[in-house]
Amino acid sequence: MQPLQQPLRIALIGCGQIADAHLQEIAKLRCARAVAVCDLHRDLAYQAGARFGIEAIYNDHRRMLQEVRPDIVHVTTPAHTHHRLAVELLQHGCHTYVEKPLALNAGEVGEIIAAANASGRMVCVGHDQLFDPAWLECRHRIDSGEIGAVRHVESVLGYPLSGQFGALASSDPGHWVRRLPGGLFHNTISHPLYRITELLPDAEPQIDARWFARNNADFPSDLRVELQGGAVTGSLLFDTAIEPQRITRVYGTQGCLTVDLDAQTVERRRAPKLPGAFGRLETPWRNWRQSARCLRRNVGRFLRSDLHYFAGMRGLIEAFCNAIQAGGPPPIAYTEMRRVTHLMDRIFAEMQPLGVQPVGVQPSGCRTALDSRPPTAVSTT
Amino acid sequence: MQAVVTGATGFLGRRLVQSLCDDGCAVRCLVRPSSDLSALRRDLAPHWSRIDVRRVPLDNRDACRDELNRGDILFHLAAGLTGSASTLFLNTVIPTRALLSAAADAEVGRVVLVSSLGVYGTSQLGRGDTLTEETPLESQPQLRDPYTFSKVVQESVAAETREQRGLPLVVIRPGVIFGPGRGVLSSRVGLQLGNILVRMGGTQTLPYTYVDNCASAIRQAGFAQGIEGQALNVIDDDLPTAAQLLRRLARRKQKPRTVWVPGACIGPLSGLYEWYHRYSKGQVPGVITRYRSSALWKPLKYSNARAKQHLGWTPTISFHEAFERATSENGQNRR
Repeated sequence: MQPLQQPLRIALIGCGQIADAHLQEIAKLRCARAVAVCDLHRDLAYQAGARFGIEAIYNDHRRMLQEVRPDIVHVTTPAHTHHRLAVELLQHGCHTYVEKPLALNAGEVGEIIAAANASGRMVCVGHDQLFDPAWLECRHRIDSGEIGAVRHVESVLGYPLSGQFGALASSDPGHWVRRLPGGLFHNTISHPLYRITELLPDAEPQIDARWFARNNADFPSDLRVELQGGAVTGSLLFDTAIEPQRITRVYGTQGCLTVDLDAQTVERRRAPKLPGAFGRLETPWRNWRQSARCLRRNVGRFLRSDLHYFAGMRGLIEAFCNAIQAGGPPPIAYTEMRRVTHLMDRIFAEMQPLGVQPVGVQPSGCRTALDSRPPTAVSTT
Repeated sequence: MQAVVTGATGFLGRRLVQSLCDDGCAVRCLVRPSSDLSALRRDLAPHWSRIDVRRVPLDNRDACRDELNRGDILFHLAAGLTGSASTLFLNTVIPTRALLSAAADAEVGRVVLVSSLGVYGTSQLGRGDTLTEETPLESQPQLRDPYTFSKVVQESVAAETREQRGLPLVVIRPGVIFGPGRGVLSSRVGLQLGNILVRMGGTQTLPYTYVDNCASAIRQAGFAQGIEGQALNVIDDDLPTAAQLLRRLARRKQKPRTVWVPGACIGPLSGLYEWYHRYSKGQVPGVITRYRSSALWKPLKYSNARAKQHLGWTPTISFHEAFERATSENGQNRR
């Protein structure tokens, strides 16, 4: 019998909204426990510590590292601070989990990975939806050949600006997210993008990206991206005028799977086998049975207390802890971190206002509508 | 004398500015860079040319310091009302820390901090007890809702600044503020679930204050003599119970569909919900706990005697009149 391993000690830097999700999911794990929180605003660190029963609160992360000596540090600060903090933490000898996006560009990601390799510590990016139970089921069904070979992936993120973070970012021209190279998109499209790249083998797909501003927004608010690989294509829709939703449709040669991460359903659509008008009956019959199956499964999961919004995050944090303890490969491959960031760089560099004919690569496509100055203020919220 | 108001674009702030303008005060409004001025401009149109509006990041001490002068009367109303604890701390506690430090630097004449009646540790009171300014503040604010948590910490930040810097502080703790555009239903009556109001008990007195009455008390707190260091509860007279309020709404045909939870069942049901929240590791949100229910829906009495005594204030608009104004068609539609 192997000796039981001590829970890994996790510290967290940046006590804004997403930090709550991290602390809540860490509290459910046996393999780890949160031991300290830190924010430049001590009041923010205090509120997180008080609510999650963490006594060690700091507004200086270096002091926290010295005094607490955590095994893992979660970085939940604004995106423009990720690179500097991640490199510093890895060099200090901490395994590091960084919220998405990992950094502002592929160059910074390369430096973070180099720091991880040099220090012998592991880095993980918060691509947690890949560990969501509905997504894992979808992957399993794709891998078992249920829809044949994947040909197209359609990824939708509905992100109304009336939401908490959206309202904050849209009403404040000086908000840090507005000053990222990709503006609001930089902080939001990782999730729908990696749900495509997970199934898109090409390293350098062709990209056509268009943005526009909705509802008199004074910044690019909506984005459409088409990705064309050799055998697989993808389309990403980031929309602020539709309901909040996280839906992916994977089209294969023998059908289509629709994953709804919010409803926790995976449903298959395929052409009817019956001819003519009978097929019109077969399809709704199949759909009805699919929905009944999803309902039955979700009722079962509800009774087992297994329906959680951030289940994917818990799965990823647990996988990261297990990888650290077992010395195994990181749960999100470094090559994938590089690839997703590289594609985001290309999207932001090549995207054009909707309605304008593409005239080749225009690095200023996004920055024409955004302040291109790099953010300097290091707020950890 | 210069009155400086934060939160002037809000529901209460607009009435306070109106009240100060009516008194002939010079008013400077410190508004966040992201604030929408349209409602303030609409409500204060007759006075607009006399109102000095400055866009200031309230979490920046130096920027706040630049807008304050020795002897100013600072009315600090700006606060977050909804959102997560971190959002509320960002919008309430952190700006308060910066602003009050700046106020101490500037040696302002008085700071009136508008807090909340929710800051009291009401779960420690017995049924039927009277809540006064002597009631201890909430000792475990992290167990309450995020808004209350942020207001308790905001007050502690203000008290700290007063002790360390000699800030001439007066704290006003209004009850639930209602009026045209905000309606009369609140969490003190019950929980809104979609179109259904889950009515919690009914015999609890509602600690309400009509927006104009409240603005009048706050204005008085800026000018009344010898009240530095005081905390004053601001609630109206003749307060209704939750059941009485719903009956009034029914008479106006404005009562929502309700499901009633009898007062005796609130505690056990809250305990059950809290247990399931823990058991299921958060499958349902932990918004209801025994502790919070006890603080929110316990029948208590409320006193405004000290505010009347120290401010020379009375709520001039009766609850009956206030209810009529808040629920009239014009009032409902006015935003």
